[in-house]
Amino acid sequence: MTIIRAIRRWLEVRLGIDELVEKQLTGYLLPRNINAWYSLGSVLLVIFGIQVATGILLLVYYVPDAQKAFSSVSQIMNDVPFGWLIRMSHAVGSNMMVAVLLLHMLSTLFMGSYKSPRELNWLTGFILFNLVLAISLTGYLLPWSQLSFWATTVATNSAGAIPVIGTYLTEFLRGGKLVGPATLGRFFAVHVALLPVAIALLVGAHLFILERIGVSTPPFGLKETTNTWQGDRFRYEGHPGGIPFFPNYLLQDATTIMIYLAVFFAVVFFDPYLFFPPTAFVPADPYRTPAHIKPEWYFLANYQTLKVFPNELLGLMVQGAAMTFLALLPFIDRGRERHPLKRPAFLVCFIGGIILYLAMMIWGHYS
Amino acid sequence: MQTPTRRTFLGICLGGLAAAGAVAAAYPLLSYLAPPSTGSEGAKVSFPETDIPPDGAKFFDYRGSTGVVIRTRQGQLLALSAICTHLGCIVQWEKEKQDFLCPCHAGRYSPEGTVIAGPPPRPLAKLPFVVVNGVITVG
Repeated sequence: MTIIRAIRRWLEVRLGIDELVEKQLTGYLLPRNINAWYSLGSVLLVIFGIQVATGILLLVYYVPDAQKAFSSVSQIMNDVPFGWLIRMSHAVGSNMMVAVLLLHMLSTLFMGSYKSPRELNWLTGFILFNLVLAISLTGYLLPWSQLSFWATTVATNSAGAIPVIGTYLTEFLRGGKLVGPATLGRFFAVHVALLPVAIALLVGAHLFILERIGVSTPPFGLKETTNTWQGDRFRYEGHPGGIPFFPNYLLQDATTIMIYLAVFFAVVFFDPYLFFPPTAFVPADPYRTPAHIKPEWYFLANYQTLKVFPNELLGLMVQGAAMTFLALLPFIDRGRERHPLKRPAFLVCFIGGIILYLAMMIWGHYS
Repeated sequence: MQTPTRRTFLGICLGGLAAAGAVAAAYPLLSYLAPPSTGSEGAKVSFPETDIPPDGAKFFDYRGSTGVVIRTRQGQLLALSAICTHLGCIVQWEKEKQDFLCPCHAGRYSPEGTVIAGPPPRPLAKLPFVVVNGVITVG
């Protein structure tokens, strides 16, 4: 023990870890009324870590070649010891990541945490959301199943509705006129190299901004210091008399992560094919479109919107407008009140938006 | 000595749980990464005698390694491991000289596998084989 203590002491003199711990962990105070919803960010960080780790492991056996991709995935599932565990963790994890991300965004909206001065936090988070959707879409193609092939055909096809550059854009995305081996190559590169790095960088930016400006006070529960931020100069929002991040809030983070892992492994072990339609188990056949091809659940609402509007361009524009509105929400919604019950118009839009999204999703599923 | 407190007991329990968790995560991970067992231990390789050209050689996969069967000018059949005992390169059968040459560091072996020249420390390993009705079975 004395040796460990001596090494610790030696490092302490040179690195000043205690000061860092004091500043970033034990002395990092959070609002007294902070709630469990704030721990979803940590859950997402853990999910991203699992996705990176399982993704690297899958690269050991996966072959990004249109001739061999499907059989290499089958080999991972059937022959490699615990290959099913690694692959199902990656596939289920991607679905869970989108779900947790949606919850994270909803809680931020509900508690008004996106409001000034946290516009940059919201914007980086919003870009992250889009990157996660992109990485899910590109990863979808890689097993080269009928589902992958035709879902990608449909998804890339919708880019064709954009005037003037549409056709060119679709061909650019596909690397050819149709989805084919060239598409697999570029989606693979984007999925394993470009997007993970972009997401990691943006997560870093997201956390840096959070750390600089300070955690927002939830609008309900115990009252503490009032927010006197005027918007004219930078001020770290401290929470004197608040809860230390370590050990108190880290324990909440750990609790939420454990609950998440319990749900995650319950799906992986007991219902691994929850997110897999039967077409996911048939190798891609460019000459035969399967009946009733549908996108993943998180694209169902978008898919249904495209079907509702008679003109594909109009459908895309409506979605683009909705996404732009969401991205710019902190710049549009300038009111200082953050309590949802004191913002009836917002609350109506919030609940109405969720109901509309779910309705479109269910409609898309059964149509 | 200090009497164990509830805190140390819980600490030990937590450490045990963490260790069990680490093992539970490490076992599938190591199994996943471990090279697959080919299941070819004790497997035999068979091919017709006519596969071997006159005073030539036939190389084949043998239990995850490489074997060779040669027919000498005298018509004698020999089965050997083709792995050079020096650094593991594959030896070549030199038809004209009637010997094996390892191209990596110029080791030379007689048709029986004994070292004639060069750095190899041991002769080539002999492989058991039988010839039944014109079919050679190695193993």
